[in-house]
Amino acid sequence: MEVKRYVMGLFRDEDRAVGAIESLKKSSFKLHKVHSPVPSHKIMNVLDRDRPQSKVGYFTLAGGIIGFFTGFLLAIYTASEWSLIVSGKPVIALVPFFIVGFEFTILFGVLGNIIGLLTQARLPRWKNLKQYDERCSGEHFGVVAQCDDADQDRLMAFFIEKGGDAKRIYVY
Amino acid sequence: MSELTYTEIDATVLNTLTPPKRAYWLTVAALAAGILIGLSCWIYQIFVGIGVGGQNNPVGWGTYLINFVFWVGIAHSGTLISAILYLFRAGWRNPIARAAETMTVFAVCTAGLFPLIHLGRVWLVYYMLPYPNQRYLWPNFQSPLVFDLVAISTYLTVSSLFWFTGMLPDLAAARDRAAGWRRRFYKILSLGWTGEHEQWRHYTRGYLFFAALATPLVISVHSVVSWDFALAVVPGWHSTIFAPYFVAGAIHSGLAMVLTLMIPLRAIFDYKRIITDDVLENVAKTIIFTGLIVGFAYATEYFIAWYSHNEIEIESFRWRALGDYSLEFWIMVVCNSLVPLLFFFKKYRRSTPWLFGISILINVGMWFERFVIIVGGPAHDFIPHAWGLYTPSAVEMGIMLGTFCLFFFLFLLFVKHLPSVSMTEMKETLEKGSAHGS
Repeated sequence: MEVKRYVMGLFRDEDRAVGAIESLKKSSFKLHKVHSPVPSHKIMNVLDRDRPQSKVGYFTLAGGIIGFFTGFLLAIYTASEWSLIVSGKPVIALVPFFIVGFEFTILFGVLGNIIGLLTQARLPRWKNLKQYDERCSGEHFGVVAQCDDADQDRLMAFFIEKGGDAKRIYVY
Repeated sequence: MSELTYTEIDATVLNTLTPPKRAYWLTVAALAAGILIGLSCWIYQIFVGIGVGGQNNPVGWGTYLINFVFWVGIAHSGTLISAILYLFRAGWRNPIARAAETMTVFAVCTAGLFPLIHLGRVWLVYYMLPYPNQRYLWPNFQSPLVFDLVAISTYLTVSSLFWFTGMLPDLAAARDRAAGWRRRFYKILSLGWTGEHEQWRHYTRGYLFFAALATPLVISVHSVVSWDFALAVVPGWHSTIFAPYFVAGAIHSGLAMVLTLMIPLRAIFDYKRIITDDVLENVAKTIIFTGLIVGFAYATEYFIAWYSHNEIEIESFRWRALGDYSLEFWIMVVCNSLVPLLFFFKKYRRSTPWLFGISILINVGMWFERFVIIVGGPAHDFIPHAWGLYTPSAVEMGIMLGTFCLFFFLFLLFVKHLPSVSMTEMKETLEKGSAHGS
């Protein structure tokens, strides 16, 4: 079986990293992933051109809708369990219950958002750290590409040619 | 700010996480002693009864409720800075957003203690939870106090999650430059974050939704707090302007607390290149805006009382300015509405001692605003023979001291153990083409 190799090009400059990604897409190498210390719009523009948007929003929306009905129904259910008129308001008083519904909308929306974020970004996942360079949380942009065993040197040379300051090889 | 590099930002922020010196631990110990005083007073109150506080007819809500509203207010500007200014893309908020968010979380925690303290028999707190008692009676969701429970617990949950999510990339940066137990600590907290593009793609989206949800929440929470008063019929409380008035006041006091915390922080940790004079000046300019709203609200209350031709309302507001608590009232007016006007002059906005001094005065003024509203209303309501005054007892003062110490204690622990400035957001503010790693 042919062994696949992964090479990381490390760039101090964002524009050079973007240039390397664009060149990689046109080359015979396969772009695997990109690490960056900040959410780079330039990298997003290159990588997300043909991809659908993140699905986190659907989780947030679902959480919000569930929360709204949970809050409203909780208030209605508890009031109807003991039909006592308080402060002259009807037992099921929709205006005050809207406040409970609103707060639950926000609470469940945020909880949905967190679930969406964790599941979509696949966190927590500590084994990621085995294939990672610590400089990528500081000042470097890391571009990881895949190649055949025989093309490893060529891929490393490619990154150096694109202005990469350092390189690293991962064997998966 | 453009002269900073990625490396310098990391070095400056992560330097603050080095093992602290003796002065730090002495300050922490002094604050811990203050917390113990507060805790002792609370335990004494639990054993002896709520009567050891100064609250009595007609003033049933004293410093416990004043401090509750004060700390919820302090919490608000953290969300203003982290969420609302984020949505407005105000870049100047980046250096102070993390500390302001932290202030929010700790202030809500501190505020949340006061309803428990005021409850007296604190073990009965579960009566407030949506859980039926022995008679199958549930909490009354028409009550503003139950709104408050729902709103404050939502706010604590949301602001804590927002704070932690915003810190993930920075925890990873701290992990990558730490050693020993600290490295393990940050490794667990950072959840395996590697700054992979796929992570950023979902993270930026999720963070945006966080900010979008936190913005209406922050406005709703202090509106709900204001309805604790406005939904009653007490003169001085029963007012339609309370929700916007309280929200503006909350942001006013929170911004002042941001200055109170940031100015020593930047001096101690050499943050002057990150938390620049321009950042502090922008906070001061926002304080002018909130101060004018608060001043306008004070004037509007008098206008409403005069225009209503309601004798009780007119008497209540006459007494507020000229009666037994007139000193507290004038401290409120001067500190919250007049002193911040000094920020119209650049000289005061650019001077750190003036910024710090004025921020303290606003904090004092905002505390007294809550005193004037919460105590002033029931002390002088409809029936002259039911009028009465309130003075906080030593036990209340001890508890108040303890909670103030608790807030600063938590903040001090935070600044030495977690990144107090968002490195990621600071890097994002760097201008295009700057040498990231040089």
